[in-house]
Amino acid sequence: MANQSSTQSLVENFDDRITEMQEEINQTSTLIECQTASGGYAFSGGPPSGADFTPGEPPSGDFPMIGIRQETFMNETTVNEISSIEGIKDVIPFFEASSSENTTSTISGPGGRTFTISRPLYTISGVSLNASLIDTYQTPPTNITAGRNLAEGDSQVLVMSQNLTDYFGVDIGDQVQINGESFTIVGICDQAGEVQAEARTVYMDISDAQRVTDNIGNMSSLDIYAQDISYVDGIAEAIEVTYSDLRVTTYNDRLSQLQDMQTSYEETLTNAESTLSQTQAIATQEIIVAVAATSLIILFVMLYTVRERTKEIGTLKAIGFSNWNVMSQFMLEGVLLSLIAGVAGIAIGSIGAPFLSGLLLPSLNSFGSSGRFQSNSQYGYQPTDSGLLRAGVAAAVPTAQLMLLGLAVAVLLGALGSLYPAWRASRTRPAEAMRYE
Amino acid sequence: MSEVILKAESLSKTYSLNKRKIPALSNVNLKVNKGEFVAIMGPSGSGKTTLLNVLGCLDKPTGGKVILDEVDIANLPESELCKIRRNKIGFVFQTFNLLPYLSAVENVEIPMENTKKPKSERRKRARELLVLVGLAGREEHRPQRLSAGEQQRVAIARALANDPAIILADEPTGNLDTKNKYEIVRLLARLNIDRGTTVVMITHDSQVASHSERMLLLQDGKITKEKQGLHLAKKKLACPYCGSRIQPSDERCPNCRKNL
Repeated sequence: MANQSSTQSLVENFDDRITEMQEEINQTSTLIECQTASGGYAFSGGPPSGADFTPGEPPSGDFPMIGIRQETFMNETTVNEISSIEGIKDVIPFFEASSSENTTSTISGPGGRTFTISRPLYTISGVSLNASLIDTYQTPPTNITAGRNLAEGDSQVLVMSQNLTDYFGVDIGDQVQINGESFTIVGICDQAGEVQAEARTVYMDISDAQRVTDNIGNMSSLDIYAQDISYVDGIAEAIEVTYSDLRVTTYNDRLSQLQDMQTSYEETLTNAESTLSQTQAIATQEIIVAVAATSLIILFVMLYTVRERTKEIGTLKAIGFSNWNVMSQFMLEGVLLSLIAGVAGIAIGSIGAPFLSGLLLPSLNSFGSSGRFQSNSQYGYQPTDSGLLRAGVAAAVPTAQLMLLGLAVAVLLGALGSLYPAWRASRTRPAEAMRYE
Repeated sequence: MSEVILKAESLSKTYSLNKRKIPALSNVNLKVNKGEFVAIMGPSGSGKTTLLNVLGCLDKPTGGKVILDEVDIANLPESELCKIRRNKIGFVFQTFNLLPYLSAVENVEIPMENTKKPKSERRKRARELLVLVGLAGREEHRPQRLSAGEQQRVAIARALANDPAIILADEPTGNLDTKNKYEIVRLLARLNIDRGTTVVMITHDSQVASHSERMLLLQDGKITKEKQGLHLAKKKLACPYCGSRIQPSDERCPNCRKNL
């Protein structure tokens, strides 16, 4: 039950984001994104080699993962050549590079797995501070929460994301060292609303960024705006033909990317759901078999007991027990027996269920920790974002409600299974029972 | 004329076996007076146990009447019969039939379980009865830790629990050695003399039967003979070893000096 609502909210969150991105894509139909080979993080890692990893079993232990930012750039000549392609309205250059400082974080997963992720501490982002570009395309960061944003003519100043000011313990007006150069913090921006909630970035003028990272004249990506949508495909083709190492993304690409993502998300979800419903169907069958078997076992045990104690029943009746006395005695015995069994069953279940679900659930958890979403830094879903991961583990622990239900079922089955034997016992004719040896 | 507590009138019982009718009792008439000690004798298969079962409403007769304490019990429904068994009849069986997982005192308490007596009073009465049958100090013992004679004493105490109008004993000495046999029959005789308890006892042992006031001989489902008991006729007990008269309170025979 907890499981389903978590899945539900996960689906809703995802649907909201899809809608949001759809709108974003629609608003920027003339945008052609042009990036060097990769702008994102690539995580590499896996179970430690030579560790106790057996195929088919959930691996446990530490998973060191290293986030490497692929730092390839395009030079000024390339940028100038691209800018001269026909039909282009504006070209907005961006520069992004990793800090030389690294940070390590640990995420714990199911089955005692831990993921140690090592990655650059922050990103140095250089934006064009041309006044007309700022006005038209909002090149500097959004969500300024304190201080001011970057403006034309700024130099040796920066806007820092909230995460990073918290991390360094600095505030507006403070001087910080970026790769050995001194910068003044003029503004703080909030990135909490973004998908990558933990993003840490310093924003500065593009030429400052190029200089401190030793990349004068280099660019990471270009946002190219066509004069109108009819030029988009032509421009994209022209770039791709000449510069095969550049990744060009147009409106259509982004749309199909989004659709792919949605499809694969839905597939994963459907798989997870069908696995879940299959498991539930099997569980239901097993419950029916267990209930039937239990009733029969109680029936036979009690029938045997009654047979075994025929003489005792005869004696009890001879010394004044009524049919009802005998019947209630045997019913009570059956109920008590199954109550004890119920308590034992709950004890075993409480200990065994988390253990067993640990073996079973990795197939479901692959949804949460799948690399598919993670590696895409732009729309990245971190393992910690997955509600399913936690919900799956939580669902395997029997709740108090479930335990009470189990006890009630045990008592009911006990009563049901001993009804006939008890009735038979009560009907025993004492004279016959006494003869029974 | 003394009061009749148990009366059987033209009592018959027929068993059906593979559609054949086997008569177990035919036209049995008998009367037991209050305070009497009657022994029913007869060879195996003569219908002794059947008669006792019918008299004790453990079984229903095929014909005739059984009047216990002025009530015809032959055709009462089961719900009434169980009350009569509980309150008016005390059973003593050949194999004692004690519950093995209960102590002596708990076994004696069982018949009182479904009465209105409070728990403490039940326990008190059970202890008193165990003292009466000579088991003081053995109250907490389970049947397996008691000798056969002692187990039968517990069974007799249990039969007395609800102060019944009559005790029906089915071969009470059948599983006992000679010494215990006489002890038990003398215990029944004492209860009969001292407390006026009515006893109907089945036995095939004439020595045991001779402790009664009156002996009935049952043969082929009919009472064929009736004679006076040797020793109890004048409410006197006899020494089982030499036959001379003794008092109920005697611990040794005044004649042969043997322990009684």
